[in-house]
Amino acid sequence: MAGTVIGEGLTIEGDISGDEEIVIHGNLRGRLTTTDAVTVGGTAVVGADITGASLSVAGQVTGDVTASERVDIQAGGKLVGDIKAARFTIADGASFKGNVDMEV
Amino acid sequence: MAETSVIGAGTVVSGHIRGQGSLEILGRVEGDVSVTGNVMIGPAGRVRGNVTGAEVTISGQVQGDLRGTQAVLLEPGARVVGDISGPRVGIAPGALARGHVQTDGEPAPTPARVPAPAARPLSAPARLTPAAPPTPTRVEAKAPLPLPAPARVEAKAPLPLPAPARVEAKAPLPLPAPARIEAKAPPPPSPKVAPPKPEVRKPDPPRAAPASAPAEFTPVRPIKPEPRRPPPPVVPVISKGTKAKKKKSHD
Repeated sequence: MAGTVIGEGLTIEGDISGDEEIVIHGNLRGRLTTTDAVTVGGTAVVGADITGASLSVAGQVTGDVTASERVDIQAGGKLVGDIKAARFTIADGASFKGNVDMEV
Repeated sequence: MAETSVIGAGTVVSGHIRGQGSLEILGRVEGDVSVTGNVMIGPAGRVRGNVTGAEVTISGQVQGDLRGTQAVLLEPGARVVGDISGPRVGIAPGALARGHVQTDGEPAPTPARVPAPAARPLSAPARLTPAAPPTPTRVEAKAPLPLPAPARVEAKAPLPLPAPARVEAKAPLPLPAPARIEAKAPPPPSPKVAPPKPEVRKPDPPRAAPASAPAEFTPVRPIKPEPRRPPPPVVPVISKGTKAKKKKSHD
């Protein structure tokens, strides 16, 4: 199970930091930093810079993303911000706006 | 979807948390928490800020006010510095609280529950307080089966506190053996072999009492208890008035 789960209907205004997986179905405004995976669920609205090992977006994210491994935007997901990651995928039906730095 | 939110043990949230659903805090939160559902703060959970929820259950540390629209329950090991209010307030033995406590409002929709009992059965109560008493009762209850053993066991059980641990480890196998062994060589082996029987059956109580219960809760306290405690009052060596008396006597 994920270490931290922000359920739908929950709003966090502030920073989240940690060393475990974080799953967000609710709202977050602030900053998110972890050393593990980050999952943004379909109902989530995130306005935060995200740093993590990997990021999967099915909801809405506004903010810059730095991932040590990968970033995936799922169908229906929306991401506005710059991305820095070794691997980056955008599924059909996802929306994205921003710069990509794949550390070539 | 996820009605229950979790702040994991390795996570720190600095900011406010509010919204609907229940919240479980196993990590750290620096900020106010306000949810419509229940709030559970685990033994390792730490919150610096006010906490509001339907039923607020604390096993960890909170520095801030607690407000439960249904209840506020402090479990053993909880440390709360702040005011507590709710229709039902339960503070279990072993919980520390400093602040104003007030029970107000109408009891929650589920009136059948009583704060203190509810708080205990949840986690540790059974282990903590009743730890000592259960041992005898259980042994007696089960005594009928191992007829030869019980008398000795009861006599010896209280003394060899450390032994049980060893015996427990060995116990699983010897279960069938004791009867035979005792018949053969009553004096020497019986003390060793006989204890296992009861020990095997009552491992729960003894373990819980001396080993696990304290072990579980002590770690919570050591974190900050000493530094936070106010220094002992400085008591003057000479009680009031003695100097005056002396002076008077001299004069």
